Amino acid sequence: MSVEGKSQPSSDLPSDTSERTLALREDATINGHRTDDAPPGVDKSVEGKSQPSSNAPSATSARTLALPEDASVDGHRIDALLGWSHRFEAGMAALALGWMVVAVWRFRNAKRAASDGGTKRSRAWVFGLALSTFLVVDGALLVGSEGYLRDVLWNLQVPATDPRTVRIEINAHQWSWEARYAGEDNRFNTSDDVVTWNDLRVPAGVPVWVQLVSTDVVHGFSLPNFRVKLDAIPGRVNQTWFRAAREGTWEVACYQHCGTSHYRMRGELRALSDEAYAAWLREAGRQAVQAYDVDDSAAHWGWEWKAP
Amino acid sequence: MSLLSLDHKDVARRYLWSGLGFLLLGGLLALAIRWQWAWPGQPVPGLAWALPESRGALTPPTYTAVFTMHGLVMIFFAVTPLLFGALGHFVLPLAIGARGLAFPRLSALGYWVYALGGVLVLASFAVRLGPASAGWTAYPPLSTSAFTPGLGQTLVTVAVLCAGTSAFTYGLNFVVTVARCRAPGMTWGRLPLTVWGLFFASVLNVLFVPVLAAATALLLMDRLLGTQFFIAGAAAVGGGGDPVVYQHLFWLFGHPEVYILILPAWGMVGDLVAFFSRKPAHGYRLTAGAMGTVSALSGLVYAHHLFTSGMSPLLGRTFMVLTLLISLPAEVMFLNWLMTLWRGSVRLTSPMLAALATMVVFGLGGITGLALGAVATDVPLHGTLWVVGHFHLTMGAASFLGVFAGLYFWFPKMFGRALHEGLAKVHVLSSAVLFLGVFGGQLAAGYAGQLRRLYDPYQYTYLKHLLPLNQWTTVCAFLLGAAQVVFVVNLVWTLRRGRAAEANPWQVGTLEWTCAASPPGEGNFTQIPVVLRGPHALSQPEVLERLGRDWIGQAEVLPGEARQGAGDEAMPASEGPVSTVGSVT
Repeated sequence: MSVEGKSQPSSDLPSDTSERTLALREDATINGHRTDDAPPGVDKSVEGKSQPSSNAPSATSARTLALPEDASVDGHRIDALLGWSHRFEAGMAALALGWMVVAVWRFRNAKRAASDGGTKRSRAWVFGLALSTFLVVDGALLVGSEGYLRDVLWNLQVPATDPRTVRIEINAHQWSWEARYAGEDNRFNTSDDVVTWNDLRVPAGVPVWVQLVSTDVVHGFSLPNFRVKLDAIPGRVNQTWFRAAREGTWEVACYQHCGTSHYRMRGELRALSDEAYAAWLREAGRQAVQAYDVDDSAAHWGWEWKAP
Repeated sequence: MSLLSLDHKDVARRYLWSGLGFLLLGGLLALAIRWQWAWPGQPVPGLAWALPESRGALTPPTYTAVFTMHGLVMIFFAVTPLLFGALGHFVLPLAIGARGLAFPRLSALGYWVYALGGVLVLASFAVRLGPASAGWTAYPPLSTSAFTPGLGQTLVTVAVLCAGTSAFTYGLNFVVTVARCRAPGMTWGRLPLTVWGLFFASVLNVLFVPVLAAATALLLMDRLLGTQFFIAGAAAVGGGGDPVVYQHLFWLFGHPEVYILILPAWGMVGDLVAFFSRKPAHGYRLTAGAMGTVSALSGLVYAHHLFTSGMSPLLGRTFMVLTLLISLPAEVMFLNWLMTLWRGSVRLTSPMLAALATMVVFGLGGITGLALGAVATDVPLHGTLWVVGHFHLTMGAASFLGVFAGLYFWFPKMFGRALHEGLAKVHVLSSAVLFLGVFGGQLAAGYAGQLRRLYDPYQYTYLKHLLPLNQWTTVCAFLLGAAQVVFVVNLVWTLRRGRAAEANPWQVGTLEWTCAASPPGEGNFTQIPVVLRGPHALSQPEVLERLGRDWIGQAEVLPGEARQGAGDEAMPASEGPVSTVGSVT
């Protein structure tokens, strides 16, 4: 498995080639420890990556009438739930529309019309049909959604208890994503912090725990390929987490109108192998210490990690 | 028509022309947005005079102003004024047998406050830095002067306050009018469903527009007086406030507002489906009750707009359950409409076609909203064009078609002239099909992940493949715009030389068609009608037998029917079986 098909030439950094080699070399290991938590949708990515000439992070296998490619470990649960709800909804739409068409066609200019506003029985039928549709369709959505919330979205115990968890503090600005990694000392706002702009790097298969603020206006942090969306709001720390199912490069998008250049508030997320990630973090941390400027107060932000 | 007249029909006509004007403006702005998504950065045809520096192409700042103003103009200055200002003002007193609204001066004043807001909106296009550009929701801190300087944003915020004031005044006016000014015998159970829809929506106006006014006033203070109710982060000095409070206040108004925009249309659909199926509405009480239940719930579901704002799981779960709950009464109402068609004698007149089209687009809009009501499925769709397609189907397409259902139905009453029925049908059908094309295309693009409000969506590689889809959607939108010419031609031609309308062209029994002239004179009725039955007394055997027609006026005495039982609420038992013909059970 390679990351070539997913890289973006226009924004490639000089260090990219070495990383790629690193990633390639570590493939076997990745595949080894990914088998246990790989979602059923993983095979989709394989066809996407089989076109190495493409310069699009994820557009390779994109279909117009489909959700963005799912590159997360847990997102398939949302996709499946949406799939089910769409089936129900298509059924409801077909039933309602069909009923209307048949009624109009059959009773158009009929000689006689019924003189009643329904019988007790017909009204009971209406209520019963509405209630049973409601229970099935809304019930499925509620139960499915609740399961996902309990297990994934609001279950911060997963990243909190996993020793491999990667913590990232993100500060949204007009118009970029500034990300901070704690570095070797595991503490934020210290000299060895790694700070990147529009460039998130995470190890694949490992919980990534994001805490999010905004400096100026309300932004929306979204990873369309990971089913992640969370507002970045000045004055509060929001948090969420996700797991990348495999290595590759995907996009970070702002989904809240945040001013003139909202549409350019685009970042990239690279899911690397454990080793490539560790190597990058080590090297970037070393450079950060060298470049650290005590007087640059604007660069000193970060907070004590918030408990879930 | 005197501009100072206090007559509800004159006020209605003022709202009609203003609302149609702003509908045109909002529609043109929508086309500019659509153009940008199909041919990003290319000059918009015919816009070079307004944007000479870019030779007509939208620039990012212009684009943000365009989508902001599209939303604000459509909601506050086009659709609400058309539904309430025009149709509501005109129909409501007539349909309940009142000589006017309870507070005629208030209704005239309300129009002028709205007009002032409209002038401010138009003026904002001319000031430096252009009109508002922080989105129709105007979330702070973006909407504060630090991030959106310029007079335009302030003018438009004041304009929204004006529109809100006007909405509050007619809301209050309608509530009091329905509660206090009904003709004798016009019991709550005999109100046309249109009146029920307007009544519930007016209650929502009275309850929730003040919340918008509060949020907007605080926002204005943040902009102009240096307060910090909603400012946090770098722009906050010494403490600061909380931007999320604004979001809660805004949506506490904003979600009832979408029901405000659709309830009158629901009511009209309920009536029109019954009228043109030539039979009483199925489950009248159930339908009215369902509209009431939706209204009651509408203020309790709003925070689904904030599912991704990081609110506590407790709130998220609560609002998820409440949101899903609101689909139950909506389904009951929809099924009642379908049941009304069944065993009727369906007449596909232009108002009926518009009502059926409203049902279709509203049904699809409602169904596509289900996934947005559950937190998990909301996440991938939140902030995408899926949301845009969903709410445009309901409060855009359905409200629009509802307005035209009402307009085509009551136009002969408003102006005494009959529109060209063929042109009206062409307009309704083409609009409905193209609405489905436009908003269906948006749903598809949103499902594939296209985010809202992007100047150039194709900056994102994962959205690049959506360009052809967006171009097709844009083609539909321009055709939709072109289809409106059919209406304009019909309108202008009819007003100039249309034939005089018959007294009761649709052959229905509601008071405005059976007891008032077309157009009604001052005071509406020569004599206040005494109401004997419900609004849908159609195809009643006794009436067919004795009058030889399938309808009877709400206040029309059937030969042999005991007059004294009418409206005598104390002695309903004295009414013979005949006097309750068509009354609702």
